Amino acid sequence: MRRGAAIAAVLLALAAPAVRAQERHGRPWQELTPEEQWRAWENYQRYQQLPEERQKMLERRYQQFRAMPPQERQRLRQNWDRYRDLPPRQRQEFIDKYHRWKGRK
Amino acid sequence: MRCQRARKWMTAAVDGELSPRRRRALDGHLAACAACRRELAVTERMLAALEGLPMEAAVSARLEQATLRRVRLAAADEAERAPASRWRLWLPLPAFALATAAVLVLAIGIVRRAGEVPGPPAVRPAPKVDAQAPPSPLSPPRRIVKALPAEPPAKLAEAPELFVDMPIIRNLDKMTHFEAIQTTTLDDEPATPDGQEPPSNG
Repeated sequence: MRRGAAIAAVLLALAAPAVRAQERHGRPWQELTPEEQWRAWENYQRYQQLPEERQKMLERRYQQFRAMPPQERQRLRQNWDRYRDLPPRQRQEFIDKYHRWKGRK
Repeated sequence: MRCQRARKWMTAAVDGELSPRRRRALDGHLAACAACRRELAVTERMLAALEGLPMEAAVSARLEQATLRRVRLAAADEAERAPASRWRLWLPLPAFALATAAVLVLAIGIVRRAGEVPGPPAVRPAPKVDAQAPPSPLSPPRRIVKALPAEPPAKLAEAPELFVDMPIIRNLDKMTHFEAIQTTTLDDEPATPDGQEPPSNG
């Protein structure tokens, strides 16, 4: 009985870093769908072309994104879909409004 | 302002995240520096490409019409020349449908190869992926490799969702405050107290 508990504790201790890594970085590569892998690969190549300053900024924002609750991340994804569906004129208007909103803050 | 600082501010400027004072300083520098203007154009194109990629193959109406015309001509030609050949008895699928499928597959292949329609290729060879440092600001953008590597590079394997969600992460501020931004009024819009759209005059 005591031996079983010890084995379970060791297994838990071994699994903990993997769980923490998943919390920090999301799903591992193998769990992405083929479309997600494809998108990630193309964005990765674009990321490499960005200046170092910009790469660091994206990584900082990614940590902010990961720290959000799953529902909040889902809300942002839905907002992104809404933004992408906007016609070009409305998208430009949204950006203008963003500048205005940012200026008022 | 020096070029180094201008380049540091460029991506923030493209995202509209630069303060008005810095934006004016950057604009002043760009007016006098052709190299930085070129760099800004490259940055704009690259960041626009991050906005997301169409997931479906979009074939232009012109290409579709040309393809169908060729298929019709080929079918008519075949009907004129060839009496029912022996293999057709074994293959009941009409030649017209076969030719249509073949030409459409070819057309989509050409469009994808031209880079208009990105999508997963049928065959994915494994290119050698080396750890690349960020390019110098004035180097031309590298070509996007259209084949998925057998093993992702370390950075991609470490945080794949950073790259899956990169457009959202890039626009994190905008997406977080999406509703508040949408209800913001611009100068030429009459403000409405409840954030609804102003009534139309037409």
